[in-house]
Amino acid sequence: MLTRYEYGGDEFIFVELSESMSLEVNFQAMAITKKLREEKVKGLLDICPSNASYMVRFNPEDIHPDELISKLKELEQTVSVDDFEITSRMVDVPILFDDPWTNEALMRFRDRHQDPTSTDLEYAARINGFGSKEELIKAITDYPYLVSMIGFVPGLPWCYQMVPQEKQIEVPKYVRPRTYTPERAFGFGGAFAVIYPVQGAGGYQLFGTAAAPIYQKEQSLHDFKDSITFPRQGDIFRYRSITMEEFQSIQQQVEDGTFRYLTREITFTPKQVLEDPKAFSDDVLGRLYV
Amino acid sequence: MIKVMSPGLQTTVQDNGRIGYYEVGMPPSGAMDKYSLTVGNLLVGNDENAAALEITYMGPVLQFQEDAIIALTGGEIPPKINGQPVPMWETLSVKAGDELSFDFVKQGARVYLAVAGGIDVPLIMGSRSTYTLCGIGGLEGRPLEQGDELNIGNQSKHQVPVGTRVQSEFIPSFSKVNEIRVIVGLCSYRLTEESKQRFFSIDWTVTTEANRVGYRFKGERLNFVEREQPFGAGSNPSNVVDLGYPIGSIQVPDGVEPIALLNDAVTGGGYATVGTIISTDLDKMAQIKTNEKVRFVAVDIEEALQARKENKQKIEKLKQQLFQL
Amino acid sequence: MTGAAKKVLSPIPGVFYRKPSPDKDVYVKEGDAVKEGDVIGLVEVMKNFYEIKAEAAGVLEKFLVNEEDVLDAGQEIAVIVAES
Repeated sequence: MLTRYEYGGDEFIFVELSESMSLEVNFQAMAITKKLREEKVKGLLDICPSNASYMVRFNPEDIHPDELISKLKELEQTVSVDDFEITSRMVDVPILFDDPWTNEALMRFRDRHQDPTSTDLEYAARINGFGSKEELIKAITDYPYLVSMIGFVPGLPWCYQMVPQEKQIEVPKYVRPRTYTPERAFGFGGAFAVIYPVQGAGGYQLFGTAAAPIYQKEQSLHDFKDSITFPRQGDIFRYRSITMEEFQSIQQQVEDGTFRYLTREITFTPKQVLEDPKAFSDDVLGRLYV
Repeated sequence: MIKVMSPGLQTTVQDNGRIGYYEVGMPPSGAMDKYSLTVGNLLVGNDENAAALEITYMGPVLQFQEDAIIALTGGEIPPKINGQPVPMWETLSVKAGDELSFDFVKQGARVYLAVAGGIDVPLIMGSRSTYTLCGIGGLEGRPLEQGDELNIGNQSKHQVPVGTRVQSEFIPSFSKVNEIRVIVGLCSYRLTEESKQRFFSIDWTVTTEANRVGYRFKGERLNFVEREQPFGAGSNPSNVVDLGYPIGSIQVPDGVEPIALLNDAVTGGGYATVGTIISTDLDKMAQIKTNEKVRFVAVDIEEALQARKENKQKIEKLKQQLFQL
Repeated sequence: MTGAAKKVLSPIPGVFYRKPSPDKDVYVKEGDAVKEGDVIGLVEVMKNFYEIKAEAAGVLEKFLVNEEDVLDAGQEIAVIVAES
C-alpha cells in the first residue's frame, strides 16, 4: 500500500504508513519519527509516533505544510529499519487478572457487550480459541509487548505483543463504549493491550487491574520524578499475572512512596524481534528477571 | 483576589494551552475561543498568553477583593457590575468589593474574563490551563466552585486606559446557523462517496454533548466503504488501527453521530477521522451552543492558510489601533 | 382570584426533564402549588444537570415544553401564577 500523507487541518500532518498493524510498520514509524526529532525542523511542535502511522503538529507560519510533507516523504525514502537500533526499557508490569474492580465495571455494562452472558475474559478466550480464561491469561503473559503508541489520555500505552501475527490475540471493542472504566484497568481491543491511566469512558475488553500507577500527577513515586506519565513509546512491557496478596503488597508500597517498577535498559534491533520472536522474548525475560 | 460567590455552569482558568506534550497523550486544553482570549488580554494590557476565566453558558458571580482592571470578550452573556449592565469588549475598572454577575446568555456560548496581571495559578507543563479529565492545571485541576479564591498575577505588560473599546469590525457576530470550514482527509477514504457528499450538504445540530472535549452532532447516518477490516483495527467498519487525532478532527463512531474533537479531547484512538476543522474556525466552533446548527464547508489547505493569515492580520491591526490611543 | 403570571426561563440550552430520574415521579404537576426555590425540572447539558427552580411562590399553571425537549437558552419552560 502507498503511504498516505494527509492534512489534519492547517496545523497537523497525518501519515498513514499502513492500514493494518504489524511490528514492522510500527518500527518504521518509530524510526522515521526518531530521525525527524533529531533533525530539529523549525516549526515542529509535536511529533507523535503511533501504531501504523504517525502525526506531527507544526506552526504553519514557520513551515508550509507542503514543504513539511516533502521533508517527511524524503525521510520515508531514506530511513531504513534495517540499521535502526532502539534503546529503551524492559519493564515488569504486575497485573491482577479477573479482579473485583473490573469485574464490577464490566458487569454493569453487559448490555453494551457482544456477549452479555459471559465475562470479557471468558468471551475473549472463546473467540480466540482458548479452552479457558486461564489459557488466555497465559498467552497474554507469556510474551512481552512493544509499547507502540501513547495517547488517548495522558500516559495510556498501546501495547502490541511481540509474536508472529498468527499468535496475536485479537478482540473487538465493546458494541457501545462504557461510560465508566476504573483507574488502572487492563484492557484489550483490536490487537492491543492497554492500561487506562485514569478513570473514564472506554470500549476495550476488561481483563484485570494493574497494581501500580502509570500516571501520577503528584509525582511522588521515583518513576514519575521527570514526568507525570510512565510509559514511553518503544518500551518493552512484560505483563505478569500476580496474586491478590502481591497486589496488596504493591498497593502498600505505592502508598508508602517506596514502589519502583522493575526496569532494565535494553538495546535491540527490529530484525532481532522479527526474525525470531521466541528467542527475543526468552532473552528479554531472562535479562529482566536476573 | 477574586472570590467566587457562585461558580456558573462551568468556569475554568485557561490560557493558550499546553503545547508540546501531545505525544504522551496530553491534549493542549487552553481557551476554546483564542481570538476572544487574545483580545481580552490586549484590553487589559496583559501578555497574550496570560490566563483568564472561560465562562460557559451561564456566568458566575465573582466578588473582587481588590481594585482591578478587567475586560469581558467572547459570546454575549451580558455582564453586570453591582447589578448595573457594563459593556463587553471594553477596558473596565472594578473596585474592591464590587460584584460581577451575568444575565442569561444571549448569543454565543463562552465569555472570557481577562484581568490585568492574569489569573495566578501554578504553571503545569508550561501552561495554566485547566484540564479537568486528569485534574491538572487551573485551580486544583477543576472548574471553579463556590468559595474559591483566585489570585491576580503580575503578567501585565502595560497600562491600557479604562474605557478603551474594540471597534465593531473586531467583534465577532454570532448566528444560530454556522458555516465551519473543514479540510477533508485523514481517513476520509473510509466514507462512501455519497456519505462524504452528505456530510457537507446537510445542517448538523449540536447535541447536549458539546463541551471542551468535543461536540457531538445529530443529522443523518453516514456509511463506510465495505471492506475486510485490516489486522488490529477492530470489527466495526468505523474502526481503524488506533491512530493520532488532530485537534479539530471529526470522527463518526459506527457512522451514527459525528464528533468534532476539541481542546480537551482524547489524542488518539480507533475511529476513522474524516476531516479537520481549520484552526481559525475553532474559535467560531467554541461559540456554538447545543441545539444550534452547523454546516460543514470543504476547503483546501491554501484557503485554510489564508484564513489563518487574515485572522493574525486582524489581531495585529487591532493591536495597532488599541495602542495608538 | 389569580395573581400575576410569571414565566420560568431556562438560563442554559439543553435537554429538559420534569423528573429527577426516569423511574421517579415528576417534580411538580400542572396545577400544583410551588414555593420559592422549589425545583420544577432539570436541564441537562455537558453532562451537568442544572436545577430549574421556581423564583416565586404560586401555582404552576402550565408547562410550555415537553419532557426531553431540547431547549434554547432563555426559552420559556413554565408559567407560575403568583398567589394573591
